[in-house]
Amino acid sequence: MSQYFSHNTNSVNTVNVSNSYIIDGRSQILTWLSPLDPRLRHQDIQGRRVGNVGEWLLQTQDFKTWCTGSEGGESDNAVLFCYGDPGAGKTYIRYKE
Amino acid sequence: MVDSLCDQAGGRDLAVACFYFDFANQKEQSPTGMLGALLKQVVGGLEEMPWEIARAYEGQGRVIGGRVPQLGDIVKMLQITSSKRPTFICVDALDECLAGYRVKVLDSLNQVLQKCPGTRIFITGRPHVQPEIAKRLPSRVKSVSITPRRDDIIGYIRARLDEDMTPDAMDNILEAEIIEKIPYKISKMYVWYKKRHSLELLAN
Repeated sequence: MSQYFSHNTNSVNTVNVSNSYIIDGRSQILTWLSPLDPRLRHQDIQGRRVGNVGEWLLQTQDFKTWCTGSEGGESDNAVLFCYGDPGAGKTYIRYKE
Repeated sequence: MVDSLCDQAGGRDLAVACFYFDFANQKEQSPTGMLGALLKQVVGGLEEMPWEIARAYEGQGRVIGGRVPQLGDIVKMLQITSSKRPTFICVDALDECLAGYRVKVLDSLNQVLQKCPGTRIFITGRPHVQPEIAKRLPSRVKSVSITPRRDDIIGYIRARLDEDMTPDAMDNILEAEIIEKIPYKISKMYVWYKKRHSLELLAN
């Protein structure tokens, strides 16, 4: 059975006093894990993407097979690599809703 | 696609994390920072902090001045979180990652895959990184070519025309002409670019 941070009384800032201590501990740990924050770039591209551009990829068998997977079976392609030249639309294809 | 996966995650217990390589930030985007950013998103989506990560964080405080997580630490933590629930990792513009970093990034992702075969990794990049991906993530890669589609270009033009600040200057004939001619011109430009790029490769 897994133990979790908020149940561990020895953890930094988590003496189970209040939720705010737990939240402080979380954000400190998240910052410690990496100073980089890709969410800003994600939001930027999300805002510039147009409608259904790139939807075709989500309808391909390659994408569907990759998405559902076969839990590591022999025919399982865990990695889908979409390649194309600059300006082909690779980045925006990743943002279809 | 990232948003689509996030929507699916609403009904299923899965994690989605993404990263964008950028020429302008190549040095800052180290393998440790990149993998750490993925882990940060996965952990950020969990209700409770896995105790293994909290313990690693506490442990670093005992070292003078604190210690940032090393690549091996991050990979182990990603393996732990990815074994708890299905994880989708999306990496944009892998070709914009420094070549020396790229090897470590791919090897690290492979270590996560080895431990957690259900993990899904989506990568975009220019074609020249394909052999490297195939080598570092052996026999697990499916490649798909992305080229500008006529429907996508038309959809994009229509959306931009809708935002036109001077609608009086537009009439049906001009709009029809734009929608007919621009996709054609773009496809010709694309062929021209590909030819030039092939010649450059040959020259080098």
